[in-house]
Amino acid sequence: MKTLVVGLGNPILTDDGVGVKVAYAVRAALASGRVRDVTVTEASVGGLRLMEMMLGYDRAILIDALQHCDARPGSIRRMTLEDLRTISPTQHSACAHDTSLVTALEMGSQLGLPLPKKITIYGVGVENITYFGEEPTPAVARAIPEVAAAVLDELSRSTE
Amino acid sequence: MKRVTIDPITRLEGHGKIEIFLNEEGEVANAYLQIPELRGFEQFCVGRPAEEMPRITNRICGVCPEAHHMAGTKALDALFHVEPPSVAKKIRELLYSAFYVTDHTVHFYALGGPDFVMGPDAPPAERNILGVVHKVGLEIGGQVIECRMRNHHVIQMLGGRGIHPVAGLPGGWSKAVSEEERQEIEEIAKKNVDFALFSLQLFNDVVLSNQGYVDLILSDGYTQRIYSMGTVDENNHTNFYDGMIRVVDPEGKEFAKYHPSDYPQHVAERVEPWSYLKFPYLKNVGWKGFEDGMDSGIYSATPLSRLNAADGMATPKAQEAYEKLYETLGSEKVNGNYTPVHHQLATHWARLVELLYAAERMLELATDPEITDPNVRAPVTETPDEGVGSVEAPRGTLTHHYWTDEKGMLTKVNLIVGTTNNNAPISLSIKKAAKAAIQKGEEITQGALNQIEMAFRSYDPCMSCATHSLPGQMPLEVTLRDAEGNVVDHASQYLD
Repeated sequence: MKTLVVGLGNPILTDDGVGVKVAYAVRAALASGRVRDVTVTEASVGGLRLMEMMLGYDRAILIDALQHCDARPGSIRRMTLEDLRTISPTQHSACAHDTSLVTALEMGSQLGLPLPKKITIYGVGVENITYFGEEPTPAVARAIPEVAAAVLDELSRSTE
Repeated sequence: MKRVTIDPITRLEGHGKIEIFLNEEGEVANAYLQIPELRGFEQFCVGRPAEEMPRITNRICGVCPEAHHMAGTKALDALFHVEPPSVAKKIRELLYSAFYVTDHTVHFYALGGPDFVMGPDAPPAERNILGVVHKVGLEIGGQVIECRMRNHHVIQMLGGRGIHPVAGLPGGWSKAVSEEERQEIEEIAKKNVDFALFSLQLFNDVVLSNQGYVDLILSDGYTQRIYSMGTVDENNHTNFYDGMIRVVDPEGKEFAKYHPSDYPQHVAERVEPWSYLKFPYLKNVGWKGFEDGMDSGIYSATPLSRLNAADGMATPKAQEAYEKLYETLGSEKVNGNYTPVHHQLATHWARLVELLYAAERMLELATDPEITDPNVRAPVTETPDEGVGSVEAPRGTLTHHYWTDEKGMLTKVNLIVGTTNNNAPISLSIKKAAKAAIQKGEEITQGALNQIEMAFRSYDPCMSCATHSLPGQMPLEVTLRDAEGNVVDHASQYLD
């Protein structure tokens, strides 16, 4: 199963880059080479561009900052695309300059584009996304290995 | 004083909101856009090597990283006092043209266009790219995606990386263009020209053939007579990558023409207590509040402003499209040049004229015999001190200004990003549109809300100019409050 892991966010905006930092951790762990057919990347885009990135993959796992009244800093929420339709989107999956990921995927599907059959989104509750800095706040930093482990677990389970 | 707020309710911070104040009679007295501030950028940069800036600044924005990369790279040329070889400038402009094609395409089809294709009163859930696809045909969706993907491929090929280019260096570019790549880009540019012509035809068929839309474009609620800013080449034609900054007054007379590094002599920034974002205005006209007219220093820097500030387009088909815009919208020719168009919704049309120019310019550059010259970098030998770099970002003139010590470590940074230029005119536009849409004593309808948003949307403002994205379906809440803060009316809708 060809899988794409995308860490979303801005790595120089404190907690905003949590998705990117998780992607780095996943990439480092995968360097040992146990799991095949996995591409790990980072992006700061949503909407159409994010949909376009996923073309040709069977499965996509997105990791993004989540700012929501219910999401404590560092809390982790695993979501499906269906959740994204009903709950508020994560920080980066939508794009103010084109459209939401859900709309973009709907369009891709209507056009018959090769979209992943399964999309999972890990949202990490954030605290500070308005101050420039390379280090996340402590609660968010603590969540990074935990999310990375969850993503790795998901990757290894499905290839068994 | 009553108060109306258009506010995203799923996001408590990080995004803009629109505040509308009503007077005792229930008429719109004032309207403001409030944009939250990202803090600490200068502190983040100070002490780092200046060469990192084109890579750091393209992280500021997930929407136009290419624009920041280019302005940052040009600021480094100036900082290190090095003149890039001609081919390096052409490669940069080639990448930048491909970027413009993608950016303007997505705005028209996903953001600006739906208001016209679906109609301003259509339910918000239909006013998106899916609605356009339903109405115009599935094929158009495929064309939009294909256009974006082929140009992203060019950006990746030339810029070394897809989303955040890395190839810009002081004095040049890190990667030459091979003949094979050149041929591929030439074919892509040809397709872009066709696509731009198709898009203008679509605008003609959907918008201009509908008298109701033409009346809307020409209506007073979307008209403001302000100064226009844009970058021009030696013939006063629009240029996105390089040139002089030209400002014309509301009548179209040249008010200023200056090198981008002279911006502090022409642009001042006003601070208002209710907004973190500053309000740039023309220093030599002065700040007269949120008013339009010859005496107010408010200027805009949008696709329409760029066309207004120029005497024409540098490529033949775009020039034709430019003339059609001015002829259709009642501009007069004075001394051989068209007087400015101040109908703000025409910005969508101007964006398509620019799309065609970007496509034609890309084709010119892709067929330039010099473009495959391997000599893409000039050596850096001078001591750095201070440098300004500027480009036309899709959302307005973008200026990067860096100061360093003699080792090239940053001591000070100033950026004026595209949307910041338009901060005052956006507030002005919202006020005008709100005055036209909200009648005293009447309920605020979805249509009225959208008419206010249309004023805002034509600027395509980059809210925080960060990688931040609004939730795709941003529920907007408009609350009408009386003088004591009690809610007397309520409405909500989606921004997407």
